[in-house]
Amino acid sequence: MAKVIVKDLHKSYGDNEVLKGLNLEVEDNEVVCMIGPSGSGKSTFLRCLNDLEVPTQGQIVISGYDLSDKGTNINLVRENIGMVFQHFNLFPHLSVMQNITLAPVQLNKESKETADVTAHALLKTVGLADKADAMPNSLSGGQQQRVAIARALAMKPKIMLFDEPTSALDPEMVGDVLDVMKKLAADGMTMIVVTHEMGFAKEVADRVVFMSDGLIQESGKPEDVFDHPKSPRLQDFLDKVINV
Amino acid sequence: MKKWQVAVVMVLATLGSWFAFASTAQAKTYTIATDTTFAPFEFQAKGGKYKGIDIDILNAIAKKENINYKLKAISFGAAVQQLSANQVDGVIAGMNITPERKQTFDFSDAYYTSGVVMAVAKGSSVKNFKDLKGKTVALKTGTAGATYAKSIQSKYGFKIKYFNDSNNMYNDVKVGNSAACFEDYPVMSYGIKNGIALKIVSKQYEAGDYGFAVKKGKNAELLAKFDAGLKAIKADGQYKKIVDKYLHSSESSLTGETASSRTFIGLFTQNLDTIGSGLWMTLVLTVVSIVLATILGMILGVLGVMPGKLGPAISSTIIYIFRGMPLMVLAFFIYIGFPDLIGHGFKIPAFVAGMITLMLNEGAYTGAFVKGGFQAVDDGQMEAARSLGLPYWTAMRKVIMPQGIRIMIPSFINQFIITLKDTSILSVIGIVELTQTGTLIIARNFEGFKIWLMIAIIYLIIITLLTWLSNWVQRRMN
Repeated sequence: MAKVIVKDLHKSYGDNEVLKGLNLEVEDNEVVCMIGPSGSGKSTFLRCLNDLEVPTQGQIVISGYDLSDKGTNINLVRENIGMVFQHFNLFPHLSVMQNITLAPVQLNKESKETADVTAHALLKTVGLADKADAMPNSLSGGQQQRVAIARALAMKPKIMLFDEPTSALDPEMVGDVLDVMKKLAADGMTMIVVTHEMGFAKEVADRVVFMSDGLIQESGKPEDVFDHPKSPRLQDFLDKVINV
Repeated sequence: MKKWQVAVVMVLATLGSWFAFASTAQAKTYTIATDTTFAPFEFQAKGGKYKGIDIDILNAIAKKENINYKLKAISFGAAVQQLSANQVDGVIAGMNITPERKQTFDFSDAYYTSGVVMAVAKGSSVKNFKDLKGKTVALKTGTAGATYAKSIQSKYGFKIKYFNDSNNMYNDVKVGNSAACFEDYPVMSYGIKNGIALKIVSKQYEAGDYGFAVKKGKNAELLAKFDAGLKAIKADGQYKKIVDKYLHSSESSLTGETASSRTFIGLFTQNLDTIGSGLWMTLVLTVVSIVLATILGMILGVLGVMPGKLGPAISSTIIYIFRGMPLMVLAFFIYIGFPDLIGHGFKIPAFVAGMITLMLNEGAYTGAFVKGGFQAVDDGQMEAARSLGLPYWTAMRKVIMPQGIRIMIPSFINQFIITLKDTSILSVIGIVELTQTGTLIIARNFEGFKIWLMIAIIYLIIITLLTWLSNWVQRRMN
């Protein structure tokens, strides 16, 4: 069974319908990049996947949990889904180490000692082994985002969601974060990435999904989507982003 | 809405019944209220003990008749209200027996007869009632003087200004804000003999009888004992001795203060015990109230940011009610109004009422800024915590609260200082804290400036200490 199954997903804020009936399936180990103009509903879609937004209509089955089922324990679902935010959202009152170990320890996934060991290992993978005791405010944006990725990974999620992870970064910081994500993809993590980094999408994605006006307009292998766009909207979008 | 009301009532009822049981268990210790400043009938002597004609008569009668009682000195108005609300068993406070009062109270036989006089400032040109036209007259609420002045107000065309105790009334006349005041003759004449710069310019009007009062239909036994005791002390000459002692001697011989003790330092050392116990009460009230208000405020704040509609609705309703009500009204409501509502002899001790008042009022303010502090924490924090799988309350406790509380610290310090100052308002329900202590001391020595300066300095010192402490805590937290 596919890792993520989304059927006829709708989301409205009052009269404003942001998602107008999305269907998507993501397989195990697949990396899906979602591209599209601002306001097309990419982030809303991603946030629906771990219930940060509650859909108005439709069905989401993720890692075997049906989100629309009232009996589903959402906390349990979220333990299996890592989320990385555009603005990192590190806990500013906790050290890097405490940021990473908070959830595993609080949820009794690991003892304090093993959580520390795991956290050190994760910091090493994201290239911040020396920052364990630093406070988030003393780190650069790129470093903070890599800590945020480590924090999400500490829960050993089965799927990772990235919500424009490099949009708030200075250009020189983007590469480090993307490198970490590439490493993750190479290790076989199932990932859904909302991004404006076309280069990353082209290189890493198994599939690229183009969203516009609350609908999936086109999707396919990166080379098909980028080199042979079918819909005029996608052609228009690519013209704009690539020529910048 | 309903649920918290029930909870509040239950807590109050539990507290109240506990105290009620506690007092019935000791059997027949009557609480008798008296005025704080009505020399020579009642006033505080050096060391905080009450003296005066009323006090000594009550004491002599109690000895004769074996009455156990506890004296409670509060303002005259509060004493009368508390008697009608069944908070005290009797009042002896130079109270005139009037037909109106007889509707609510049962009176003893008259133990003293007195008339009302008009007094003006020493250099004043006001000689009679006619000179009062268009001027302001100072009155003390609930007194015979006030009733008499009111009855002739339209005839002589003066304005009226009310005070809660005699000293403020005298002072208002002395400094010229009011042209005259009306006061019972023995009180006025005693005060003038002891240095109040006023003069009596009228004869005695409306001679009235002073009586000891109980609530109508209650404490008949106490009243009967009082009457019997009064007869006995009149018969054996004790009564005359007491009255003569107070009407024909100067104040210092009664209060134990000497002229040399009228310097700032002298007054301070003389009244150290009284001020100390007032200060202690202020501190106890402050600390207890701060703790309770902080707990209540945190609960209100957390409810205020809870998902769903119920929590925020409860929170904002409670904040709306208790933040919107003046502290004094709330204090009166809880102390006097609430027992009236419950009935059945339900009593709340003044300290408990004061504590609840401060808890609700300061708690509401605290709740408002706690809620604001939590809301000031970026939404992304809660989202990040929840997306890691942390349940709402864990996320609240581990992520939102530590950040929110840091934002709130300056508001907390501010609120602590306000709480400390607000304890002074509780003097209206008879809690003898620092401010009330000041009133009491001035009532016997009339040293308004020096004593209020002393009290003000003490408040500033504690507030400074409190600020230092808070700043130290703040540094530690950061």
